[in-house]
Amino acid sequence: MRIADTIKRGSRSLRAAKLRTLLTALAIAVGAFTLSLTLAASNGLHDYTNKLIANNLDPAELIVGRDKYIKSGAATASEPQEYSDSVSSVSVGGKTSVQIKQVTEDDANSIRLKPYIEQVRENYQITIRYISREGQKKYTGSVQAYSSAQKPELDAGKLTGGDLPSQGVLLPDSYVSLLGFKDAQDAVGKTILIDVQQPFSTSTLQELLTSNQTVAQLAASNAAKAKDEVFEYKITAVSKKTATSIAVGIEPVRISNPDARKLYDFTAKGTGDYNRFLFVSARVKDGTNESKLNSAKADLEKEGYFVESSKDIEKTITQFVNILTIMVGVFGLITVIASVFGIVNTQYISVLERTREIGLMKALGMARHEISELFMIEATWIGLLGGLIGSIGGLILGAALNPYLTKKLDLGKGNSLLIYRPLQMIILIAALMLVATIAGLLPARKAAKLDPIEALRTE
Amino acid sequence: MIEVKNVSKVYGKKEGEFTALEGINLAIPDGATVAIVGKSGSGKSTLMHVMSGLDHATSGTITIDGKELVKLKPKAMDRFRATEMSFIFQSFFIEPNQTCYQNVMLPLEIAEVSRRKRREMVKDALLDVELESKIDNPARNLSGGQKQRLAIARAIVNKPKLIFADEPTGNLDSKTGEKIMDLLFELNKNLGSTLIIVTHDHDLAARCKMQVRIKDGKIESVKGLK
Repeated sequence: MRIADTIKRGSRSLRAAKLRTLLTALAIAVGAFTLSLTLAASNGLHDYTNKLIANNLDPAELIVGRDKYIKSGAATASEPQEYSDSVSSVSVGGKTSVQIKQVTEDDANSIRLKPYIEQVRENYQITIRYISREGQKKYTGSVQAYSSAQKPELDAGKLTGGDLPSQGVLLPDSYVSLLGFKDAQDAVGKTILIDVQQPFSTSTLQELLTSNQTVAQLAASNAAKAKDEVFEYKITAVSKKTATSIAVGIEPVRISNPDARKLYDFTAKGTGDYNRFLFVSARVKDGTNESKLNSAKADLEKEGYFVESSKDIEKTITQFVNILTIMVGVFGLITVIASVFGIVNTQYISVLERTREIGLMKALGMARHEISELFMIEATWIGLLGGLIGSIGGLILGAALNPYLTKKLDLGKGNSLLIYRPLQMIILIAALMLVATIAGLLPARKAAKLDPIEALRTE
Repeated sequence: MIEVKNVSKVYGKKEGEFTALEGINLAIPDGATVAIVGKSGSGKSTLMHVMSGLDHATSGTITIDGKELVKLKPKAMDRFRATEMSFIFQSFFIEPNQTCYQNVMLPLEIAEVSRRKRREMVKDALLDVELESKIDNPARNLSGGQKQRLAIARAIVNKPKLIFADEPTGNLDSKTGEKIMDLLFELNKNLGSTLIIVTHDHDLAARCKMQVRIKDGKIESVKGLK
């Protein structure tokens, strides 16, 4: 028998038992549905992760720290560590604080001198009092140094070069109407005010002590209060809030690196944490070349730094996504395994029901392997049907759910959680067909072994 | 030409041993009509199975057109059955859910006859049994006699040299049975194929040129051609 005839004959037999075929296929369809959904969600998460990394991290940049805590995915120390002067307390989640070894300014400068390093940006932690504008109310906010890797989407204005101009500011659009601008375009070129406070440091105390004033005089004056100062910035551009921004809470106001340094000096000088950083970002020369990036990373690690590239961060996030995918995928696989028994059962019954037909085919000279093929191909058909039903169901659910999920999870326009890839679907269906065929193996063997004389005996 | 030489068939072993056939010798010329008659359990069906290669003889040889069946490998045996012989059964064994065309086409599929020739061959066979108008109807709508005619069409579609019929009229009323007999003998005349009928039916047996009577696994008598 030719294989084309076998395939046709098999599909005809299945059509003769439509309900049974459909029910058996539905069992696989559930597995196909779960697996296609898992794959789609994994695709979506991977895509989103990649966008997140591409929009927030410079691939040529290394994040360099002194504590392995800065490595993504690494937990904080659960056992006491040897003390060093560069250990600082960092609050975690606002509740507990952990002691983390910091990168000192000396470290940063020594990294800066490495021949393979192009630029080093310290991670300035700047605490501000408020953001405001002449004649407007004061608002809370945060300030960060600008990094060109963040590729902000602009509402108005223009960014040129790798950094903001001196005294320039990139203002998030959430401040536009608060600060009394008509629109984003209106804000560009205008001046905003950022108020920062100087810590009450030992140097302030010394100043006071050498001023020969009595305690009463000091109390009466404002000198004992922490100094604050208002800095002026001109709005270079207005940034849109993008879904792929990793900023937590309010989007930070961004200023140039030298300006950030000034604010940092003002707010942190005199405190114990001054010139100590959780990490610094070191840009490697030709860092987009992976081997150069890796050799720079290896060299820094040799000196006791903990170094993380954007690839490493991607890997960590991806690993998390993969674990999730595997977990959901396992449920899908269990469903598929359950459906295998369904196929075995259905095909066994089919063999029993069609004893006569099998006997006749054998009597007419159909070879054992051909009989076996016929039943296996029927199982393959069931696999195809189940795979198609399941994955089409997945596609429909994806199309229906994606707009809702994108909105609910705040993924941003153009990002979907469920992404179906045609090739994956084809491979999935092909794999299910293979599984079904294997499930059909046992019943097919039974059919092939059938004794035609027994089968054709008329009683 | 079919030559059966000293064929025995024994089922089971030792105490449970049962001899179904013993020392059968038979020669059937080409184009003959042969009736194998005998009571139930006499071994006539076993003889048919052994002659058609569905069952193996315990001893002895069966030679069809110079080919010794026992010596054929399974593949060659399947091929031989697919091209040289066919079967008609008491219970028709047609697939009710398939059309007449699909039912009759089965032997052509098994024999790997090219697709172009199939429809023409099926049409010819259905024409011979006067079912050409039902070609694309489902077989379940046919009457008993029509079903057996369909089975006959399936048996002759491949133009086999040898047709085995196992109680072909057993499930039919006498009038329909008569018509089926007429058809079988007419086809035998036209096609020249050898027809071997296993039957209880004395009328049917009487119309055959050769009658082989089996009793307790042995040939009791052979009438007609030798």
